[in-house]
Amino acid sequence: MSALLQYLVNGLVFSSIIVLGSIGLSLVYGIADFANFAHGDTMTVGAYGALVTFGLLGGVGGSILGLPVAFYVALVVGMIVAAIAAVLTHYLVYKPLDVDSIGLLITSIGVAFVYRALLQGYFGADYQNYDITRSGPIPAIESALGVSLTVRGATIVVLAGILVLGLHVLLQKTTLGRKMRATADNPDLARVSGIRTARVVVAMWAIGAGLAGAGGVFLGLYSQIDPRIGFDLLLVVFAAVILGGIGSVYGAMLGGFLIGMIHELTPLLGDVGLPIPNTYAPAVAFLVMVAILLIRPSGIAGGEPT
Amino acid sequence: MTPTMGGNVYNRRPWLSLSETRMKGSDIPSVRRRDILKVTGSVGIAATAGCLNTGGGGSKGSYKIGMVDSLSGSLSAFGQRNKRGKELALSTVNEVGVKDGELQIAVEDSQSTQEGGVSAAQKLVNQEGVPLMVGAVGSGVSVAIHESVISNSSVVQISQNSTSPNLKNYPDLLRMCPNGDTQAEALANLIAEDGHDSVAVSWINNDYGQGIMNSFKSSYEGDIAYNQSHDQGKASYSNVITSMADTDAGAWLFLTYQPEFTTMAQEIYDQGVGEQTDWYGGDSVKGPKVLEGAPEGSLEGMKVVTPSAALDQDNYKTFAENFKSEYGSEPTAWSAYTYDAIVTGALATQAAETFSGNALMDVVRDVTRPSGQKATSYKAAHDILADGGSAKDVNYEGVSGPIDLDKNGDPKAYLQIFTVEDHDYTSSGFTAA
Repeated sequence: MSALLQYLVNGLVFSSIIVLGSIGLSLVYGIADFANFAHGDTMTVGAYGALVTFGLLGGVGGSILGLPVAFYVALVVGMIVAAIAAVLTHYLVYKPLDVDSIGLLITSIGVAFVYRALLQGYFGADYQNYDITRSGPIPAIESALGVSLTVRGATIVVLAGILVLGLHVLLQKTTLGRKMRATADNPDLARVSGIRTARVVVAMWAIGAGLAGAGGVFLGLYSQIDPRIGFDLLLVVFAAVILGGIGSVYGAMLGGFLIGMIHELTPLLGDVGLPIPNTYAPAVAFLVMVAILLIRPSGIAGGEPT
Repeated sequence: MTPTMGGNVYNRRPWLSLSETRMKGSDIPSVRRRDILKVTGSVGIAATAGCLNTGGGGSKGSYKIGMVDSLSGSLSAFGQRNKRGKELALSTVNEVGVKDGELQIAVEDSQSTQEGGVSAAQKLVNQEGVPLMVGAVGSGVSVAIHESVISNSSVVQISQNSTSPNLKNYPDLLRMCPNGDTQAEALANLIAEDGHDSVAVSWINNDYGQGIMNSFKSSYEGDIAYNQSHDQGKASYSNVITSMADTDAGAWLFLTYQPEFTTMAQEIYDQGVGEQTDWYGGDSVKGPKVLEGAPEGSLEGMKVVTPSAALDQDNYKTFAENFKSEYGSEPTAWSAYTYDAIVTGALATQAAETFSGNALMDVVRDVTRPSGQKATSYKAAHDILADGGSAKDVNYEGVSGPIDLDKNGDPKAYLQIFTVEDHDYTSSGFTAA
């Protein structure tokens, strides 16, 4: 029983990171209309942005939720750095290019290489950590439920929840959100109705990359940072987005949650007579994705306007 | 937000998703197909473009060999040290010279992956035209390179750091570090001697992990309560940890790489499940980055078996001194293997009649074998050959050990056992094989 709960907790933390990555990828697909292969590396950019900031600030200030205040500052800076990188790339690369969506897709692979090479050139290929002491499981939760959840795990889940909620409010309650939804649904009509879609695209890049940056920072906080962390996660993030219904933000949230959970719960199949090695956890997640796509070809939330 | 068939914000043709193609049916398939052909076509051209330029081995009087190294990816910690070993070897060799000229090394990055390694090797063999290649670090990468690039050419391959027992199945794939079988045996003995009759093993899902796990299984007499692989480069291994903790094994064995092990050590600490167990590790989970990343105290008492250089020999001491004065840190055994791989390559070049793969292969084993006169430095070995000696007249004793490449292409083995004390590695003895 405690093993089951433990797998669920592991899955919850892992899913939170995937969800943050998935949202941005889906936003870009919905509005800019191409599959952005540089998205994983945008996460990495955010992680390094926070690493540098945290290194500069050190242990300044007290702590919130068991983590130093400097980490939260670093998180925000990491998100901003990722957003700036994406917006710059939009102006320098994607916008001037006169190619179709496949051309943009291929270009984004090149952009991914550039991000990664720059990070690796500057920071080296070795893995690094945020200099935050690991605390081990939170005793209260461990004695009450018999599962171990760390302070950083809990923080990741809580902050991811806040960010997702914030995006929801932004999309549903603000003018910018309405403009974004309109642009995603029908760019021509949006333009005719007076929406400056060019500005919406910039906002979309900033928001999508900012969330990806947060995902990257959490990924680094969860384990460690090296120039490949984002790219290595990209395939899973793509799976999450496709499962949720590509282009749909809420689908991406759900898809990210499901893929992360299935990934972490795979060892449980051994208890029901299907001993599948951990190595195949991504394969199981992908099988479930295929099964769902067979029933709902456009993904769980695909085809429904958001 | 759903993608639509109308114009998009970049005012371009939308890329159709799988789902859309299904919905829209077949009224516009030609656009899609043409796009895909365009893409695959240009990729194909890019891929073959490299093959047209099959250059020679550099200018006259210089002998260019290749090296595939892990400059990035999971094994980059090895690659960094290898680079230093390589540079030291190159300057040692070129102080004396090779034949009438000097040695050059073209280095390519394998990114610690099989695909990366194969394309790096292809570049070296097809474009640079090297007859001898040092590579690679990861065992899976070495084998992949051997099978897809080396085996149907005459190029000589010397792996600098691969320890997988699988490599002995490729007699022409030479290597400088000992077969991991010896390591697995030592680990099995160590775990049994410490009184554990049950062990949980998590091994990395590649040739290295698989090879060393198979040998461990055949040497260990107790019960293997958990025996599963994990993939390289994952952000989280918490499900592995939870599963291992679910067994009652008193010993946990990690046959994996440094970043993966660091993540595991962190997650074990996070889950608070490691204190009741003794940890053991293969050679590639030991390193300063592991100590840095793993929480203080979490590794206490962990035992790691690593192939060791000939620490007590004079030529190793000289090598270590040079290394230290150049780079300010102690060399690793791995950089010593790289050093010897380069020196052996240079000696083979000196001994071979022509600078070609076939001629090099004829002599490369002999310059290290005990039949000849002992030479503990490149200069000594070079002088024997330059005085008219044949490859059989030389027995190069490397800084990493006696080498003595056998018919499987494997050297003799020395192993050292380390124990983690006060969050640092302390030597607790040697074992030979």
